[in-house]
Amino acid sequence: MQIEIKATVTALAAPAIMLAATFSLAQVLQSTNGVDSRHASETKASATQAAVVLGEEAESGHTLFEKNCAHCHGDDARGDEGPDLHNLKLSDARIAKRIREGIKGEMPSFAKKFNDGNIQALIAYLRTLKD
Amino acid sequence: MDNSIWVKMHGGTTHFPIALVMASVAFDLAGVIFPDNVDRSRRAGFRAAGYYTLLLAALGSIGAVVSGLVISRGQLWGRGNLAHHHTFLWPAFGLLVALASWRLVVGSRASNVAFRIYLGVSILSGGLMAAAGYWGGELLLNG
Repeated sequence: MQIEIKATVTALAAPAIMLAATFSLAQVLQSTNGVDSRHASETKASATQAAVVLGEEAESGHTLFEKNCAHCHGDDARGDEGPDLHNLKLSDARIAKRIREGIKGEMPSFAKKFNDGNIQALIAYLRTLKD
Repeated sequence: MDNSIWVKMHGGTTHFPIALVMASVAFDLAGVIFPDNVDRSRRAGFRAAGYYTLLLAALGSIGAVVSGLVISRGQLWGRGNLAHHHTFLWPAFGLLVALASWRLVVGSRASNVAFRIYLGVSILSGGLMAAAGYWGGELLLNG
């Protein structure tokens, strides 16, 4: 019985230590990549501000972008793991094709996830992204 | 270092903990369900297999977590499928480390009641791990 209590105490302490180490590593990685909390809140504020002036379709695209694209392209679409999406020179058809088919080894295909309306909404949002 | 190396490393390392936790649960369950043989080696064998597969799963999960953090640039939560992935991943990782630590300390000296509680928690951990893997796949295939 005593050994089980000792084991349970260890079992409670070990994940706490591991998770603390993990979160510390995350902090280091975030600061290395310049994603500190101040930047994140500024980005969120500017994204919210942008949503206010967007049309209905673009706003719907913005919501889809935040849920599906922001973790690679960045909350403000300025690029992170994926490229900056401001001032895109591609045609609507080319953007739609890229969203549907993805890029091998770089970007997944969204064909099963987005219907034509979703893709149109995303394109409408991407067209609002100008410097 | 090129980010694609970490992406490949994450793909390579994540499957070990998932498979090993499942295997550990299966071995431990087999040790409880199947009757022991005359020299009492069958149950001990299943438990030993469950023990080592769990320890390997816990060790493997460290590589998976580190490579995952590097490719998400330190994001602990994120949005969309990444958030779903993390919702299951962090509890699964915590439970896996807790289970491995418990088993490391208690060895083969656990009472039947304690071992059955452990088994229940390890089934939960396996389920969480599978769900984290599912959302990881969704993230890879559907963004």
